[in-house]
Amino acid sequence: MRQGRADEYAEFAVARAGHLYRSACLLTAGDTHLAEDLVQETFGRLYVRWGRVSRAENPAAYAQTVLTRAFLAHQRRRSSGERATDVFPDLPGAGDGDASLRLTLLDALARLPAKDRAVVVLRYWDDRSVEQTADVLGVSSAAVRTRCSRALGRLRDLLGEDLSEYARP
Amino acid sequence: MLENDRRDPFEDRLGAALRDAGDGFEADRAALVTAGRVRGRRALLRRRTAVVGGVAGVALAGVGGALVLPADDQAAPARSTAASAGTPNGEATAAAAVFTGDDLLRELKGLLPRGTYGEESGRGSDHQLGPAAHLVYDDGAGAAAIGMGFARVEPGSAQARQLAACPDHNGTPYADCTSDRLPDGSTLRLYQGYEYPDLRVDTKLWTADLVTAEGQHVSVSEWNSPAEKGAPVSRDEPPLSTERLRTLVTAGVWREVVDAIPKKPKPSRSTAPRPELPEVSGESVGDTLAALLPGKLDVVARGGQEFEYAYVIVDDGKGRSLVQVNVQYGMADGAGQVYAGGEILPDGTRLVTRQEPGEKAGSGVVMWTVDTLRPGPEGFRVVISAFNTGDQNKDATRDAPVLSMEQLRGIALSEQWDALR
Repeated sequence: MRQGRADEYAEFAVARAGHLYRSACLLTAGDTHLAEDLVQETFGRLYVRWGRVSRAENPAAYAQTVLTRAFLAHQRRRSSGERATDVFPDLPGAGDGDASLRLTLLDALARLPAKDRAVVVLRYWDDRSVEQTADVLGVSSAAVRTRCSRALGRLRDLLGEDLSEYARP
Repeated sequence: MLENDRRDPFEDRLGAALRDAGDGFEADRAALVTAGRVRGRRALLRRRTAVVGGVAGVALAGVGGALVLPADDQAAPARSTAASAGTPNGEATAAAAVFTGDDLLRELKGLLPRGTYGEESGRGSDHQLGPAAHLVYDDGAGAAAIGMGFARVEPGSAQARQLAACPDHNGTPYADCTSDRLPDGSTLRLYQGYEYPDLRVDTKLWTADLVTAEGQHVSVSEWNSPAEKGAPVSRDEPPLSTERLRTLVTAGVWREVVDAIPKKPKPSRSTAPRPELPEVSGESVGDTLAALLPGKLDVVARGGQEFEYAYVIVDDGKGRSLVQVNVQYGMADGAGQVYAGGEILPDGTRLVTRQEPGEKAGSGVVMWTVDTLRPGPEGFRVVISAFNTGDQNKDATRDAPVLSMEQLRGIALSEQWDALR
């Protein structure tokens, strides 16, 4: 990689690392080690294709897509039926009241199938539309809607009470 | 939002809760970026360069291991050997990512200030002896050897604690040593000492040892000479300041190198399962030793390690004498060799005595040892040594150790040690 391009890549990576890592933590339901691994993998792939990525309309969204696909590929390699996480996530710097809600939320995410979790993270964390989410996952919009409504129903069951006081917009 | 659907309040609350939860995770961004770049570069290169072996092993022998309390290898050679045998053997399972020796050298050079390099050698992450890198670096002020070593340690184990602890000043003279816990839970020990404990050559050895919460051990050593031993000093101090050492050893890429070390294979069926052996606290060893000393001796100093080892420096009015004890389990395996030519007592205890010159630099130093192994599968060993000096690195201060061979034998065989079992 030429120096100018390398600098551009480094600048992009540093700027996006925090967001990608947080996305990865949500996708993995708090498995920070796996999250780090996924972000590194994502940066590795971006590095290889940086020429193309840098010319993309929205490199940040592209990075998010690469991350989500890396996560799903990882999940596919795992034995089916395995829970995504079996340890309580480590939440640095969380306040007392919020900490328990975060744990509850991550635990609820962990109970979703990986693809449903990816839908939830893309739709409600990354604010992607149904169509965009469908593009990332390589499925139809209808499939995203189905997954989304199923995941919301499950989360409502698991979190309804806990989130009811969560009035912030 | 490009979405036209009206959202229900639950979806809004979920979005807010996800943002809050996400914000609770803080990334080491620099480490992620560096590691990502390494992966990308490796994917681009993909051509594996041959692993440089051989010569590197000699130059790197001291990296990582040299500072683990030199007093220990003196009284317990068998234990030291066992510890260093912890590297994975040839049957190790393959790890996902592989760093070649050249990868390590490239990363190391990328993290050093501008300068010239020579005598480069590296071992990849899948090398039988573990990954390592070594080069001679010159920032313009004199050629200096720099070495790196990598290993996996059990988090929270005695070994991990030992790597974080500054050595006892007794027996290991050094200029400075600090040990800190970093925000990510790693421990970092920065040590400034000497290649030769007796300072007969002014070769300085500065090291940094990082042990992460996950048990990744990264070590950097640097000298103010182009070789560890046997080359004249080329500059006053090693080239990297403590701050530079800290930056180098904490670079994120090295943790990936440790992760790439193949995990040890599961024990095969033919290997009998070995139960976890207990460890005797160093403090109780010291207490027991102090209690068993003849009453007329003044104890002028005491010390030891967290486990297994303790020493006292005693004075009978005719000069100081260092007395040290190791109490260990699991030593039955090498018994045939260690106790060959010794006695077997009626209860089955094996015992051997040695009277030999001191192993360290002090002139005229003698070391008298009584080494015992209690019968039984747990291999309970008590070995006591006494010296005719209070500091093995300094010259003899008296003709003979303060305790006679008979007294040492009496102490080693005392039933009080069995109370520690």
